[in-house]
Amino acid sequence: MAIAASAVQLPGITYQAYQNNNEIRELTGSEILCEALVREGVELLYGYPGGTIMPFYDALTSYPSLHHVLVRHEQAAAHAADGYARATGKVGVCVATSGPGATNLVTGLATAFMDSTPIVAITGQVARPAIGRDAFQETDMIGVTQPITKHNFQVRNTEELAAVVHEAFHIARSGRPGPVLIDVPKDVQMVKAQYRPSDYTTSEEFLQASQANAPRPADHLLSQATELIAQSQRPLIMAGHGVILSNAYSELRALAEKASIPVITTLLGLSAFPASHPLFIGMPGMHGPAHTNHAIDAADLIIGVGLRFDDRVTGDVSAFAPNARIIHIDIDPSEMHKVKVAAVPIVSDAKVALAALTEAVAPADKRAWLEEIRSWEAAANERGQSIQHDEALPDPVSILDAIYKATNGEAIIVSDVGQHQMWTARFYRWERLNSHISSGGLGTMGFSLPAAMGVKMGIPDAPVWAVAGDGCFQMNLQELATLQQEGVAVKVAIMNNGYLGMVRQWQQFFHSRNYSETPITSPDYTKLAPAYGLTGIRVTRRDEVEAAVKRAMETEGTVIIDFAIESEANVFPMIPSGKTVKQMIEEQPE
Amino acid sequence: MTNAAMPRAGYSDLPRGAEAVHVLIMLVEDRPGAVDRVVGVLRRKRANTQSLSMGRGDAPDLVRITALVKDSNVSVDNLAEQVRKVVDVRQVTNLTVQQAVIRELVLVKVSTTADNVHEAIAAADQFGGTAVAITPDTVTFEISGSEEKITKCIDALQAYDIREVARSGCIATVR
Repeated sequence: MAIAASAVQLPGITYQAYQNNNEIRELTGSEILCEALVREGVELLYGYPGGTIMPFYDALTSYPSLHHVLVRHEQAAAHAADGYARATGKVGVCVATSGPGATNLVTGLATAFMDSTPIVAITGQVARPAIGRDAFQETDMIGVTQPITKHNFQVRNTEELAAVVHEAFHIARSGRPGPVLIDVPKDVQMVKAQYRPSDYTTSEEFLQASQANAPRPADHLLSQATELIAQSQRPLIMAGHGVILSNAYSELRALAEKASIPVITTLLGLSAFPASHPLFIGMPGMHGPAHTNHAIDAADLIIGVGLRFDDRVTGDVSAFAPNARIIHIDIDPSEMHKVKVAAVPIVSDAKVALAALTEAVAPADKRAWLEEIRSWEAAANERGQSIQHDEALPDPVSILDAIYKATNGEAIIVSDVGQHQMWTARFYRWERLNSHISSGGLGTMGFSLPAAMGVKMGIPDAPVWAVAGDGCFQMNLQELATLQQEGVAVKVAIMNNGYLGMVRQWQQFFHSRNYSETPITSPDYTKLAPAYGLTGIRVTRRDEVEAAVKRAMETEGTVIIDFAIESEANVFPMIPSGKTVKQMIEEQPE
Repeated sequence: MTNAAMPRAGYSDLPRGAEAVHVLIMLVEDRPGAVDRVVGVLRRKRANTQSLSMGRGDAPDLVRITALVKDSNVSVDNLAEQVRKVVDVRQVTNLTVQQAVIRELVLVKVSTTADNVHEAIAAADQFGGTAVAITPDTVTFEISGSEEKITKCIDALQAYDIREVARSGCIATVR
C-alpha cells in the first residue's frame, strides 16, 4: 500500500515535545497528532505508510520517542497493538493508510472489540474535498468499522484533532475497554492550527478525575449477593477477562478463600487465578474438563465476574447451570440479562465489586463441595483423556510442559485459534498472572505471531511463546520479517498435524470423516526461518522436545520450532455446539 | 425496517411469549454518523422494530429518535442498555405503550371526481382527517393520531382508490 518513499531524518529539525504545555504554537495536523500521542504516553506504534497518511509519517521522524514498527501487513499492526494492550494494560496503537490499508485493520479491530481490549487505530483518509467522490483508496471506514469499534471519529478539521485523540484514548480505556478508530483526512493532517497542550485533558487526567464516579455496587445488591452466598451449598465463581482487565487478581483470590468458593476461569480468564491454587477447578464450556462442567451443572450459585456467558461457555443456555442462581458482576450494564437472567445484577468494576463482596461475606468452609468436584476430576482422570496414541511423536502436553520448564513458568503464552489453543488452555500451567493471551471471542486465526510481537515489545523481560497450529501460523507468517527487523525475540511452537485440526475434528465427529479441504502442507521451517535471518528447528520425536525448547530459549532472536504431532489427535472432552454437558464426548468415536 | 421476532433457542433464557410493544425515545448528539450508530445497534441486536422516526430534539444539538420495538421487557431493557453504550447517545427512555402518548402523522392521497370529492372529504372528517391539497382528480388528507385511528381512517378511504400513503412513523412522549 505504500508508494515509494524514503523517510530521511534531517539533522537539527528534531522537535522536542513537552517543552511547555502552556505555549501556543502553530503546528500542522500531523504534528498535533504526534504531540497528542506523546502526551498520552504512547511509545510504540505499529503501522504501514501509504498515500493519505504520509503527512503523519513525515512528522513522525521528528518525534523520536514514538517508536514506529513497520509491520508487513496492516492486520498484524492491529493484532500487535492488541497483544501489547493485553499484556501491559496500556492502549495499543496502530496506523494505516486509507482504503486497503484501513480495511486490512478490520479483522484486528473486530478481534479487539470481541475481547474488550483497548486499542486506538489511526487511519489516513482522502482529503476532505474528495470524500464521497470514490477517490483513489477511499473507503468509508466510519461505516465499515462502526459495528466493530467502541467508537470512531472522522476528524473534520485540524482544530478538533487534539481533542479527538485524547477522547479516543479515554473511550478505549474507560469502562469496558475496546478499540477506537480515528480517521484523519490527508488535508487535515497538513493544515496548520493553533495548539496549546494544556487546553486538552489527557485520558489519564480524565480517568483520575472520574475515578470517584466509577460505578460501585449498590448496597441492596451487595446484601442480596451476600445472602445468596450464605445460603448456597454449591457455589462457584466464574472469572472472565474482566478480572484481568481490572487487575482484580488479589480481590478474586480473597473472595474465593474467605467464602471457600471453587474458581473456574473462562478461556480469557485463564491466568487470572493461579492454576495450582487448591480452589482452582479449570475452564468451562465446549472443551473444558468434564469435572468443571459437571460442577456447573450441579452448582446452586454462580458468581460470574467480568464474563459474558459466551455460547462456547454455556452450550445450550436453557440447560446451562440449571440449578444455579446467578450473581453477575460486569462493568457493562448491557451484559446484564443478555444471555442468562441474573438474580443479582451488579454493574461495577470487578476489582471494586470483589473487594466489597469479600468484606461483606462471612467466612465459610465448603470443603465437601470442593471434594465432590475433585472426586469427579479423579474419575475423569481414571477414564483417561489420551489426546494422541503414538507415544513416539511430540504431543501437546510434552511441548507445553517443556515450555513451562524451560521458562520456569515465567513465560507469556500467546496462542492462536483451534485445537492447539484448547490444548494450551487446558494443559499449560497458568501460574503467572495475565500470562495467557488468545483471541477468544472472534477466534482469529493468524493472531498469535503479531500479537506475540506486541506482547514481547510491551514486556521485554518476559519470555514470550507463540503457540500456533500449522494453519494459523501460515496466516501471518510475513511478520517474521518484522520481528527480524526489530530484533524482537519471540519463540514459536507450531503444533503441526498437517490439518486444519479443529475443523478436521468436527468433520470427524459430525461429518463422517469427510475431510473436505482440511489437509494442509507447510513450508520447511528449517529453511524458511533462515531465509528471514531467524532460526528454525524441526522436532519429530517426543524425546527431542525438551532439548529443542531449551535450545530455542538459548538461541538469540526469534526461533520457530515445528513440532510434528499426531495428525488426527483430538481435543477431549468436547460438548458439541449448542448441546449440554449430558452430550459430552469424552473419547475417540469410532 | 422490521425483523420478524425470531426465537433464540439455545442462546438465551430470556422469557419468551411475553412480547409487548415498547417505546424507546433516544436523544442523540447531532454529530456525523450518530443516527447511523443508533439504528445500527437496533439492526445488529435484531430488535423487532415496528416504527422508527427522527427529528430535531428539544435542544438544537440533539436529534430525537423514536422507535417502537416489540419484545419482552427484559430484552427491551437490554436493548436500551446497548443503545446507551453508543457514545453519541445522551439519553434513552424506555416506555410501555401505557406510559406513553404515541402519535403518527399520515398523508393519504386518493383519486376523486367532481361527483365524490365532497363525500371523500366527509369520510375523512369522521376521523379528524383534513384535506390539505386538492387537484381536479385527487385529494390529499392529513390525519394524525393513534395507530388505531389512522388505520380506521385509511380503511374508510379505501372506497376512493388510494394512490399514496405516507406515514411519518410514531413519535411519543411520557404521559
